[in-house]
Amino acid sequence: MTAIVFLATLILSVPVAIVLVIAAVWYIWESGNTVLYDSIALKMFGGLENYGLLAIPLFMLTGELMNEGGMTKRLINAARVFVGGFRGGLAYINLLANMFMAAIIGSATAQIAVMSRAMVPAMEEEGYDKGFAAATTAAGGLLAPVIPPSMMFVIYGVLAQIPIGEMFMAGIIPGLLLASSFALVITAIGWVHQFPKGSWLTRREAASALRDALPALLIPFSIIGGILFGIATPTESAAIASLIAFLVGWLFYGELKPSHLGEMFKRTAANASMIIFMIAAASVFGWVIIYEEVPQKLAGLITAVTSDPFLFLLIVNAALLVVGMVIDGIAAIILITPILLPIAMGSYDISPYQFGVVICLNLALGLLTPPVGIGLYIASAMSNTTPGAILKALWPFLLAVALILVLLSYFPVLSLLLI
Amino acid sequence: MLYQLSRSWAKLELWCSAFLALMITLLILLNVVTRYLGAALFWVDELAIYAMVWMTFFGASAAMHYRTSVSITLLTDAVPPAVKVIIEKLVDLIVFAFAIAVVWFCWRWFSPLELVRAGFDTVAFQGATFNFIYAEPTSTLGLPKYMFWSVMWFFAFGATFHSAVHLLCWPVREAEQ
Amino acid sequence: DEFRLGLITPPPHIWTKAAEAFGAELAEKSGGAHSVSVFPARQLGNEAEMLQQLQTGALDMAFMTVAEVSNRAPNLGAFYAPYLANDIAHAGRILRSDTAKSMLSPLPGQVGVVGVGYGMAGLRQIVSRGDVSSMADLEGRKLRITPFAPILDFYKAVGAAPTPMPLPSVYDALANGQVDAIDMDAELIWVLKYYEHADTILQSDHMMFPMVGLVSARVWAGLSEQDRAMIGDLMASHVDSTIDSYIEKEAGWLQQIKDTGKTFTKVDASFFGDVIDEWNVAWEQKSESLGDLRTTASETR
Ligand code: NA
Ligand code: NA
Repeated sequence: MTAIVFLATLILSVPVAIVLVIAAVWYIWESGNTVLYDSIALKMFGGLENYGLLAIPLFMLTGELMNEGGMTKRLINAARVFVGGFRGGLAYINLLANMFMAAIIGSATAQIAVMSRAMVPAMEEEGYDKGFAAATTAAGGLLAPVIPPSMMFVIYGVLAQIPIGEMFMAGIIPGLLLASSFALVITAIGWVHQFPKGSWLTRREAASALRDALPALLIPFSIIGGILFGIATPTESAAIASLIAFLVGWLFYGELKPSHLGEMFKRTAANASMIIFMIAAASVFGWVIIYEEVPQKLAGLITAVTSDPFLFLLIVNAALLVVGMVIDGIAAIILITPILLPIAMGSYDISPYQFGVVICLNLALGLLTPPVGIGLYIASAMSNTTPGAILKALWPFLLAVALILVLLSYFPVLSLLLI
Repeated sequence: MLYQLSRSWAKLELWCSAFLALMITLLILLNVVTRYLGAALFWVDELAIYAMVWMTFFGASAAMHYRTSVSITLLTDAVPPAVKVIIEKLVDLIVFAFAIAVVWFCWRWFSPLELVRAGFDTVAFQGATFNFIYAEPTSTLGLPKYMFWSVMWFFAFGATFHSAVHLLCWPVREAEQ
Repeated sequence: DEFRLGLITPPPHIWTKAAEAFGAELAEKSGGAHSVSVFPARQLGNEAEMLQQLQTGALDMAFMTVAEVSNRAPNLGAFYAPYLANDIAHAGRILRSDTAKSMLSPLPGQVGVVGVGYGMAGLRQIVSRGDVSSMADLEGRKLRITPFAPILDFYKAVGAAPTPMPLPSVYDALANGQVDAIDMDAELIWVLKYYEHADTILQSDHMMFPMVGLVSARVWAGLSEQDRAMIGDLMASHVDSTIDSYIEKEAGWLQQIKDTGKTFTKVDASFFGDVIDEWNVAWEQKSESLGDLRTTASETR
């Protein structure tokens, strides 16, 4: 019955956070353990008492400050220096700039929004098919939640109770694999459709492009370096990145107006509280289902089908691809993790890091799959292309992601090597 | 009228939320600086976390007014407008019920009536109710925790107010945003 | 009844095994009338959250650090008097004394839980990046602690910057220098490999780290006299068994840490100079049982 209430309210478009609380309340009522009602408000508050969650508003703030501060176009110019001269140069620039951005931005949708506006018109002007341009950009956005920093990993790490820094490390190799697979897809498509020729920048242009981008490149270095070399926690590195983004955008590029800070903090607060409130609700939900030993009961059903961790992960992947069509990104992580993680760890002895990388990438992919695909629609709106036209060019990228998912499921070492 | 009040209240909540986001940033930076000066302040983390929790609940209440919460709109996007209106009304009703439930949870948790009955003597209150909410400490700030928990009341009443207004005066809604 | 018992330690830990053994024996002794589901690894929340759930009656039982309980019942802070115990076996004798038991009796009214008896983890040691040859080497350095008042006061008196941090973040923090040192017991230093990123292990044995078996006072009030006696005695005997486990294993862990070849220094109370007296003076105000407990300690030495 709880499952029916859960699905019904979800489909009626009741806010996801409220769906989670209602399902928990309903379950408590059905099970008769009404003493739990005394702890619900407490648990909503307590679920947020987590140092790692502080990174969420800070990553969002960094994104806001970068957009206002004019850093994106300078990073794209820097990418031009390295890959601009190849045939299909602009497609590779798009991918490389997406990698730079992924090392700064923690959210796929934010990155798709920024990059679609910047890259798609430029590619179209050089004669690329608009659908392909938007598809490349949308796929590149999937690097954001895998290459650190990553909001999805923060949230997963909080729900799984594992160190966020190590979760970030787990994403580095899968992120590079993903980027390489996209590069291969671009090359393969380039053979079929003749891509426009690119041109190398002159030495002088290259030097000035790199010089201009240098302050902006400080940000990914401060984030990844800060975590890697132990100068700061992921949360602190996000705060430092915000400070750098603010100073560079304001004093160096002169594009960021301190008078806009109020609005930027308002947007940050509104967006961050939307996500974090879902986590508050999820912690109530997760607490109730653990208290009632639901994962244990569910595990019995799944272990009856297979005892092989790889097969289990394949089943999970297939199921999540379907889930991802309807429920997107972070909301999906929040819904899924409390149910599946105890089974993966308890019955299949799968590392929480590997499991996190796999389900986060899978559910990030959901951002691009119809019918509900926020990333797809953002790319479409920002680039003025129909979702259909994007999808027509997007499927090879989606296929590449699916293959990477199988690899990540089969080889735990890809996720665990750097931890 | 009511709708205007709901909007003003949401605006205020959002500004509080934004101010707290600023505080989080400054506190974390303060942490980095003091640690490098070799004078780490041990209470900063906890205060930053509470600032985030307050930011979240103010923001979440405001989101009820602005209808910006994350939801699955697969069905509502597909049905004809007339049906959509009915579904939205139903959702408003569910959200309102949720908000009332949160008020009730807070009521049980803070037991204000029993506290008054005990003459605000928390030891007597504890003895009578087995509720230790007013005795709970914070781990590093040295303040009682109920001060920070009290944000749940702001959230409960904010959410109730915003969702009740949506339920009552729906035609105005279209003018918003 | 079906009881739920929560604790923060992972499944293979001594405490978790004791909890499971308690559940099994209770089921057997009650002829299946009672059962216990154990929720390890903070599945139901951290200790503060579990304590609140014990208070509402949502959670029936817990094995919990006395540190967490002492944040609400400062009298229990007396156990953390530096060098109260000479060694781990002495710590065990103190915890088994009548003085210690009597300190549990105000808990139902004060905290809303019934304490049935003590268990323990190992004595506290210091693991540090960089060399530590005197207390001055700890001054101004970031040192990870579990957040509770007695240990905070101790390291403040030492002159370090005590930094509260939950266990899951400690390894990272030590590895990448967010903290310079950690306060930890021998078991976890060895099992969780905290020595890997340290230069010096200081076997200071400066504090004991007791655990307590708790039952929700609300749940307790609903039990029959007979059930209370059976559950109380059984739980007490199983938490008590952890004392024997630690006494037996502590030396082995220390030896293994020593064998890693890291600088291993054994120090005693004199290392900390006036800090210990300073702590005792401050805590005589906060804990009325401190005097009695010190008397008991010298009688069981
Ligand atoms: Na990223
Ligand atoms: Na989708």
